[in-house]
Amino acid sequence: MSERNRTVAVYRNREVGFQEFTVPENERTTVLDALEYIRARIDPDLMYRHSCHHGSCGTCGCAVDGKFVLSCLTRLGDLEGDVVRVEPLPTMDHIGDLAVDPTKFFEEFPEGLTYLRPSEVNAKAERPEDVAEYTRFENCIECGLCVSTCPVTADFTGPAALAAIDREIEKHPEREDEMLDLADGKRGAAACERALNCSRVCPTGVYPAKHIAFLNRKLGKRRAAEKE
Amino acid sequence: MADPTNYHIVVIGGGGTGAALAYDLAQRGYRATLLERGELTSGTTGRHHGQLHSGARYAAGDRSIARECMEETRVLMRIAPEAIEYNSGLFVALTAEDEAFAETFVESCAEAGIPTERLSAEACLRLEPGLNPAIRCGVRVPDGTLDAWRLPLHFFAAARGHGALIRNFAPVVGIELDRTGVRAVRMRDLRSKREEEIGCDLVINAAGAWAGQVAGLAGVSLPLTPAPGSMLAVRKRLTNLVVSRLHPAGDGDILVPQRGLSIIGSTQWQTDDPDDVVPSDEEVEFLRESAVAMVPGFAEAPYQAAWAAVRPLAGASVDVEAGRALSRDFVTIDHGKNDGVGGLVSLIGGKATTLRAMAEQAVDVVGGLLDVSRECRTAEYVLPSHRAYYRNHATEPERSA
Repeated sequence: MSERNRTVAVYRNREVGFQEFTVPENERTTVLDALEYIRARIDPDLMYRHSCHHGSCGTCGCAVDGKFVLSCLTRLGDLEGDVVRVEPLPTMDHIGDLAVDPTKFFEEFPEGLTYLRPSEVNAKAERPEDVAEYTRFENCIECGLCVSTCPVTADFTGPAALAAIDREIEKHPEREDEMLDLADGKRGAAACERALNCSRVCPTGVYPAKHIAFLNRKLGKRRAAEKE
Repeated sequence: MADPTNYHIVVIGGGGTGAALAYDLAQRGYRATLLERGELTSGTTGRHHGQLHSGARYAAGDRSIARECMEETRVLMRIAPEAIEYNSGLFVALTAEDEAFAETFVESCAEAGIPTERLSAEACLRLEPGLNPAIRCGVRVPDGTLDAWRLPLHFFAAARGHGALIRNFAPVVGIELDRTGVRAVRMRDLRSKREEEIGCDLVINAAGAWAGQVAGLAGVSLPLTPAPGSMLAVRKRLTNLVVSRLHPAGDGDILVPQRGLSIIGSTQWQTDDPDDVVPSDEEVEFLRESAVAMVPGFAEAPYQAAWAAVRPLAGASVDVEAGRALSRDFVTIDHGKNDGVGGLVSLIGGKATTLRAMAEQAVDVVGGLLDVSRECRTAEYVLPSHRAYYRNHATEPERSA
């Protein structure tokens, strides 16, 4: 495997701005691998969030060359330019270098949302008697990239939480009224400007914009039914 | 008997072990502070393969480890069901040798209290049409998939709800001793770039593959060898069940489906430095071939990621085979008794599946040292949502499991 060097410019703070580091790169090296190298070999104080290293936990979101991505799935080899610029997500509270505090993001999710869904894999296959239903985790890994790219500037529940609310209705139709109450109002689904940035940036195919459109349709139907 | 609220315990290491310790300590009434040098679960825990172990994989080697896995699987299904895809697992025989192992495998599982179901090749393929059609037979077991980030977050949320202080980006740089033992830890807060001294009555070292470095801060030698293992994920969920090779536990023999991915693992090598570990080309190729042998569709699925996670192996220099057996167990070490440094306990080893039981054992040891008799009750309550760690963590009511 061929190795070469690459320059990575990492945002540190207001005073320093970006700091450049030289890291070794092969075909698989990701932005997260580069950050791990920097912390292990150059600066042990470098702050960044990460956990699973395979696009499942949702902690390592950042802006790479201006695009909102998961650092663990972004390979240096797929990026043009001699210098790779890495910045923290702008919509969460900055705590240092690339690290942010996702509290505000999670506060938008209502309590009691389920995280498992029925599995669609091999739907026609036989199922053992003791497994009531094959399940899997929701696609949404709660990384916050959609919220970071959303152009809505007004107070807004945001695409991730709204998508989760609509998923809850799809899984549990009996909760529709309760869920629609959460998506209703000025800061709810109605605030969406239909830019579709959220669906484009989502690393796991949640398509939040589609779910927000579904919510608006359901809310419209409910309002129409209430008038009758 | 002493009152636990009089004791301040510092847990070093914010992985699954630390998460379960912080919850257990806080629930029993201790004042607990957890210090993690980076983000929570950024060491080994989060990079876990994601298999919830029924214990079937370990049954032939060690019945008691297997039995504990089965018991803890049942506990986790009660207290953290939303962090687990509980679709069961299938061990498949690819060779005549694998097939001959079925008898031993099923008997060992029975002795460990793990239910099994022997299946013909045809029955296996009816459950999982993506399996290699050349398989000879299979055995179904109660394995599952866990979310390696969200399962510990459930524990962290519960710990915070009970008043534990969880501090990330807080590397420990020193352990201060007086003549009786540990008096304080010194921590460098990466947010403020300032050093703080945190007074405490006892430290639990839960730093996993980094536990040797932490023990070294107190002048204690804890011979651990960091042993990374690699995994490879593709962007397609090929099965509902966890698929394993029906043979004595080895490399590249577990294919875990998770969310929309399939993940093959693992390997094992040894290193001096647990930081900055990445898989080699040879490992990635070996893992791909191993997965394809069980589920041929793996070959066409798009690449997602390849990464390594570091286990701590006991003993400074153990060979890999011996190490594998050792690494699956966990041990609580009282460094007061072992090394003459009072107030320092290390909890080493274990598995994601048994994190709760590990904490129970270690906090029982702590209770013995501090003369506190509070029973562990972490198996009795449903854990709060992973999101509750960040949101309204103090307000969710406890529900009996």
